[in-house]
Amino acid sequence: MAKNQSTEIHSGKLALLFSAPALLILIVTVVVPIFYAIYLSFHRYKLKRAKRPFIGLQNYEKILTDSGFWESLATSLVFAVSVVGVIVAVSFFLALLLDQDFPGRGLLRALLLIPWAIPDVVNALLWKWLLHPAFGIMNALFQMGGLIDEYVAWLSSMPSALIWVIIAYSWKNIPLATLLILAGLQTISKSLHEAAMVEGATAWQRTLNITLPLLRPTLTVVLIFETIFALKVFDLIYVLTSGGPGKSTTVLGWSIYINTFKKLDFGTGSALAMILGLLTLFIAIVFYAFLDRGERQ
Amino acid sequence: MKRKNLTRLILLYLASALFLIVFIGPFVWLVSSSFQLERQLVKVPPVWLPDPFSIESYKEIFMGAFFDEAYASAYGVSSSYQSRIYLGSFLNSLIIALSVSFFSVLFGAYAAYPIARLDFRGKYALLFSILVVRLVPALALAIPIVLFAKQMGMHDRLITLIFINMSFVLPYTIWLLQAYFKTIPSELEDAGRIDGCSRLQVVNRIIIPLSIPGLATTGILAFLLSWGEFLFALLITETEKSYTSTVVAAMFATSLDVNYVTIIAAGVLAVIPPVVFALFFQKYIISGLLSGAVKN
Repeated sequence: MAKNQSTEIHSGKLALLFSAPALLILIVTVVVPIFYAIYLSFHRYKLKRAKRPFIGLQNYEKILTDSGFWESLATSLVFAVSVVGVIVAVSFFLALLLDQDFPGRGLLRALLLIPWAIPDVVNALLWKWLLHPAFGIMNALFQMGGLIDEYVAWLSSMPSALIWVIIAYSWKNIPLATLLILAGLQTISKSLHEAAMVEGATAWQRTLNITLPLLRPTLTVVLIFETIFALKVFDLIYVLTSGGPGKSTTVLGWSIYINTFKKLDFGTGSALAMILGLLTLFIAIVFYAFLDRGERQ
Repeated sequence: MKRKNLTRLILLYLASALFLIVFIGPFVWLVSSSFQLERQLVKVPPVWLPDPFSIESYKEIFMGAFFDEAYASAYGVSSSYQSRIYLGSFLNSLIIALSVSFFSVLFGAYAAYPIARLDFRGKYALLFSILVVRLVPALALAIPIVLFAKQMGMHDRLITLIFINMSFVLPYTIWLLQAYFKTIPSELEDAGRIDGCSRLQVVNRIIIPLSIPGLATTGILAFLLSWGEFLFALLITETEKSYTSTVVAAMFATSLDVNYVTIIAAGVLAVIPPVVFALFFQKYIISGLLSGAVKN
């Protein structure tokens, strides 16, 4: 017993020693900044003013009573729920397809890595070109298909800007979700499907009654991670819409950027960032509880 | 039965074709557009295939970077500012991504080993906090980091970006590597221990050499993560001395005075390193992405 304890202490020291460089970097680049951001959020900190007094919760109070904040929160939630819905639905069908055995599926899976590998900024540039109001291929295709009479300025019209941002974001993020769901599918034993087939179950019934329930843990993980990442969206908005037209694509991330680096109000910006962080943390905790419950069952 | 198989195959290929058009089509269109001439690019309806096949757009970027005066005298206009600094920004991105990848794998490996192999108090707390760190919104970190960097005179420097990018790459590499180390049979390690190796020697002589595929996969993913980083680069860089390719690509995308063809060519150039990496190492990347996702 005593010996065990001493090896455990020894292991602890060793662990600390081995991870010291990594921990040091994370402390400097993550832990200290978080605490400083919390500090800033309790101060009136505008770059142009020399006085930066402690003001308690006033930044938060100002944000929570500002209708602009609630609008950007709503936009963020609409964005997150939509992209997660699109990503999970499309990825599920794409993964079902890639789970079939047919010549060429390896190639399809490899090509799917292309959207995933494209940096967000370039993804935005790509969609900006596809959606160009005068020369965009989307306009040409939609006109050929008879869906529109005249070319549309997609990114500067009201509901369409948000819809296209949702599509552009989903397009890049579906491939990874697909690979994760595919990995989940491949852990489901084929014999279950074969047994159901003998009983005369159709493909649809098998998907509904075997695949979906067994895939639930994977789908939960994908769902929650995608939600958290969608709430942080920034790069795409920066290049595609700058939060517009009006404020229709002003998500929380964009609002933080504008408050901090355009209005140079670091106090309010930090408080907003804290709110986004808490929202993320809340979702992470819900996620943890879900997984924990799932494991105990 | 045979007939049924045939219909099944046809349906599968139809579905595959649909997905290919949706997921690869936009990218193919971007590449194809970049080989057009500006006057064809702005035609309505669009010209579907480049004719003639032109590399004018790439010329502006390459000549702008190396022979700006020659370009100006040949074309009567100077190349745009973005074009002139674009290749330089590539070099910056490359330096940053390679350094981040190297150091995160190095430090990540030593941090991952105890998590994979040793029992110590707080191990699960450590593992969970690493996961949480990965979820912290970069925007929350960006505000204090920009202030610190300015106060310390560290803004507009590559080394600052290398350091900051580790904040989100390092947790990821630790996570991937601890999963990989667990797949190495511990008997090999025990044999080393019996021969009198210290823990450090075990890691250096047994674990690391046996993990080369895992380290390489992790390094590639770290490179890709760092290559695409935009927010910190946008806030920390101020001149072409440290602009990264994503920052200049965004400048291209939001500028009004640059030829469309050049903007598109810039986009294509920026995806060459990650896409080539992704396709070349696809097997490793897919296995890496999946092992990182497996819970536990």
